[in-house]
Amino acid sequence: MTDDYEHFEAVVVGAGPGGAAAAATLAEAGVETLVLERGVDAGSKNVSGGLIYAEESAPYTIDSIFDGFREEAAERPISEYYIHNLAGEKVKTFDLSDIHHHDTEWCDAVLRRQMDSWLAERVHEKCRDTGGGLLTEVRVNGLLREEGEIVGVTCDEIDPITADVIIAADGVNSELARDAGLMDWEEPDEWFQGVKAVVDMDPGAVNDRFGVESDDGVAHLFSGDLFQGVRGGGFLYTNEDSLSIGTVFHLDSLTEEEAEPHELLDSLLTHPLLDQWLDGEYHEREYSAKLVPDSKKAANPSPHQGRLLLVGDAAGQMQAQGPIIKGMNHAVTAGGLAAEAFAEAKSRGNPDSAGDLYEKKLVDEGVMAKLRPQRYRMTRTLSESDLVTKVAGGVLDSAVGRAGVKLFDGAIERAFNSPFLLGMIPDTRTSYVTVPRVVGEVLGERIDAENTIEPPELDDRIGDLTYDVGDPHIELVDNSFAASGAAVAACPVSAKDFGGGCYREETVKTNGSEEKVVSLDTQPCVECGTCAVVADTEWEHPAGGKGVEFKDG
Amino acid sequence: MVSVDPTEHEIAELGPKIKDVEDLDELEEMLELEEGGEDRDPVKTLIEGRIEKLSADDEEPDPSEADLTELTVADIANLVRGIEDVDVLEDILERERDGKERKSAISQIENRIEDLTQDDDGEAAEVEYVPPEEKYPELDHPTSEKRWVEGTVDGDYRDMWVYCETQQGELIDASKEILGKASELMAGYNEEYDEDEAVVAVLIGEDVSELAEEAVAYGADRVVYQEDERLERFRHKPYTEIFCSMCRDSDFEWRDYHEPRYTVFPATNNGRDLSALVQAELDSGLASDCSDLYIDSATISNPAKTGTPGDNKVFERVLHMPRPDFSGFEYSTILCIDKPHRDFHPQGASVIPGTFDLPDPDPEREGEIVEHELELSEEWFHVEVTDYDQLEGGVDLTGNEVVVALGRGIGEDPTKGMELGLELADAFEEADLGLSRGVITASYQFDGHVEDYVAEERQIGESGQVVEPDLYIAAGISGAVQHKVGMDESDTIVAINTDPDADIRGFSDYYIEGDLFEVLPRLTEALKEGEFSRAVAEVSDD
Repeated sequence: MTDDYEHFEAVVVGAGPGGAAAAATLAEAGVETLVLERGVDAGSKNVSGGLIYAEESAPYTIDSIFDGFREEAAERPISEYYIHNLAGEKVKTFDLSDIHHHDTEWCDAVLRRQMDSWLAERVHEKCRDTGGGLLTEVRVNGLLREEGEIVGVTCDEIDPITADVIIAADGVNSELARDAGLMDWEEPDEWFQGVKAVVDMDPGAVNDRFGVESDDGVAHLFSGDLFQGVRGGGFLYTNEDSLSIGTVFHLDSLTEEEAEPHELLDSLLTHPLLDQWLDGEYHEREYSAKLVPDSKKAANPSPHQGRLLLVGDAAGQMQAQGPIIKGMNHAVTAGGLAAEAFAEAKSRGNPDSAGDLYEKKLVDEGVMAKLRPQRYRMTRTLSESDLVTKVAGGVLDSAVGRAGVKLFDGAIERAFNSPFLLGMIPDTRTSYVTVPRVVGEVLGERIDAENTIEPPELDDRIGDLTYDVGDPHIELVDNSFAASGAAVAACPVSAKDFGGGCYREETVKTNGSEEKVVSLDTQPCVECGTCAVVADTEWEHPAGGKGVEFKDG
Repeated sequence: MVSVDPTEHEIAELGPKIKDVEDLDELEEMLELEEGGEDRDPVKTLIEGRIEKLSADDEEPDPSEADLTELTVADIANLVRGIEDVDVLEDILERERDGKERKSAISQIENRIEDLTQDDDGEAAEVEYVPPEEKYPELDHPTSEKRWVEGTVDGDYRDMWVYCETQQGELIDASKEILGKASELMAGYNEEYDEDEAVVAVLIGEDVSELAEEAVAYGADRVVYQEDERLERFRHKPYTEIFCSMCRDSDFEWRDYHEPRYTVFPATNNGRDLSALVQAELDSGLASDCSDLYIDSATISNPAKTGTPGDNKVFERVLHMPRPDFSGFEYSTILCIDKPHRDFHPQGASVIPGTFDLPDPDPEREGEIVEHELELSEEWFHVEVTDYDQLEGGVDLTGNEVVVALGRGIGEDPTKGMELGLELADAFEEADLGLSRGVITASYQFDGHVEDYVAEERQIGESGQVVEPDLYIAAGISGAVQHKVGMDESDTIVAINTDPDADIRGFSDYYIEGDLFEVLPRLTEALKEGEFSRAVAEVSDD
């Protein structure tokens, strides 16, 4: 039976930073490693906001595994970090460089297509020496089991493969994690959704407009009242010859407000504050979107089952606490630790103990504490209750609250820069909307600029992406508006009254009665996974090499 | 002094490090250090393992004492390779027969003995040829009756023969592609080997003589055809008989050889069938579904082909036939090579359609056309084709003068919208109905009489058909770029939309701001009265 299948010591699914780190570390330890990637090229399916950190406290960093990473695969180093609290046309800027540099060896802006494909080449080299390698355009679609035990993976394109360890680094919508029952798509409040525009900009213009040297860069965050009350914020990072500008929102808040992600992005892009950098010019190279797990709630504290180990987004390992947004570095660490755990378990003659060892290492190396801070869990019940949100909102908006904000101007900036306090930030409107807005209103200065740029319409954004339409990879299980209607607004390539998107709202008249339903066309899908959470679907990735292909990511 | 002090390292780091230590003493010292230090069991296991491995490498196990039951077949193969003493080998052979009695192990040992005894004779012995019927009398030999089996040795082979499949009375593209490639290959071949061999096209069917000139234009030097009305459809038996007779029995002046040197077939459904039948009948091999072809020499060491163990032999003019294996992740190159006492010609391949570029036909090209007149036995047609079906080509919108296309503007009343679109299309002489992708993927409920029209085969755009009619009427279509690429080469585009900002306005010749439910009937009406252009001009805003 399974004797007939090809066997590798290790199979790594997904060639992002987590998979690359795992595969390289395994290969380094002499483990025969096969890496399977579903994109036409590593990175072609991958999107991130765009900052990768190397933490001083982490046992692995991307450049410790891959020599020359920063020079060859990254964009600009990020040495300055600001947050802008916006209220109407007033802004108060805090310098967050302290928190940004806390525990940070370095931090670079990246574009994932370039970064991941660079990593993949090195991974292939390293794995080839062990008798393995990296295959692209292969979609792993599930786990191969024998007598209930996980023994390998099944794929769309090739025969099943058995392995002594399976490292699932297949991203936020990991089908393997779901097959094993380790992750789900149930609760919108465990997720963020990010959308991003990569905007062309001449390197000289980046230097001038941001006041940086050509080998230096800057990050700006945005919060306040420019996002229709949706909890979340915006970011802008400088690349070599482009900007990554995006917005990230709590998915539950996005659906509650029925907000359109692309419109929220536009309200950031067209805000007067951005005029100083865009200067009336705007050429959008790529529009992309991604679901982001909130590790505080979604990170699986025990991300393994049998021979299956989850790393990175697949395990919910994405740390987002207020202005701290770290995902790729944790994926790298987790990948390294998972590989280490298997090598160690194997040399002890007990490869099946890799999972337990991996879990222990995540705790011992402090990764789990960063992903799921205890302080957050302890204060959450109180601080996220509706009543507290209302009271806090009321107090902050009152004369007393405003006076307090004024009085504590410096204290607020310091508080933002405290990793300890950030660990407690509750996910409510108070922290995301009210505080920044009041800060902006009370302390802010008026921006005297007009931002005249016109971001592309949604249909043009979609039209610029490359698609390969095969069989629909998402099926709408329940097309009633009640079950799946939220996707019409929340899907980043769909919108109300827009017929060209994935999800469309329609009225069906039968026998004199009217019914609101939702229809789905997966052609423009960017595979973010939003609808898997907010609509009733059967969600799979497209087959290897099919579907959206990001050029920047 | 040790280069790696185990007590200073985590176990995971030690694995690869220890692997590089070659010195036994050093390893012993490391073991002591670990025992004196943390005394970690897995680390000790690691070091001991390495020591064991190195010591094993140092001492060859004594073959006469080795416990064969402990060894894998691969171990045995390695073991016997180093033994020069036939007696020791005989002893091992006996023990294996008494022990696990593994066939592959036994043959490894036997082979080694054979090698050694041959060497003793001073020269490598020729493998004695025993005809298969004698060698394996217990098997039935279905080919033993065939006159060409085993018969042809050192035969004379020339030319590359290409099967030209036809469909609906036309040469299929795959045949033209192969003709082009064959002509290129044989030109190179003739130059390289200073020969004058040809590309021979084979045409079989009804009225195929009409296609002979075309085959020449695409690269054939000679065309051999047989036509008969009974050959209208592809039939296994007669087609195989005719093909084999052409290349084996025909007495054309130029065909002064036994069989073709190469045969190439398109890897279509029929081509695959025929290639297998023909190559089997000609008693040769077939590489199916190839993705390239080239002619080169090949150095072969397989004694089954060279006739002498241990010798390399260079085979000239070998058709190399690469084909994808393992779902296309690996490629194998298949060679079809003669062996002693039996030739493997023609070297045959079928080629995946689209592998080679479709050549431009050269009408000036000259070639010889000959008819083959094999008497067709009635028996070959005893399978009666009682019924056949033409596969639906789907709806082809491309040839129409007018295309009326409907978009999601029909959403208010989809059935009515379809009816109005169809009525307008009917009012033109040559028109058909197209749809935007948005309509096809919608959850609209259509009444039975229009439902059949809602199918992907009517979709216009990037993932549907691309049309360039004289007149394109887009009703309720916003004009997303995916739709635009399917129609913007149309001569005249008339757009009907309620939204004056719709993208389609930007690439329409006429834009009618209005509800298609009102505008379409007016256009139909006007058309019936012969005033279409005036009607458009009247209601158009652009």
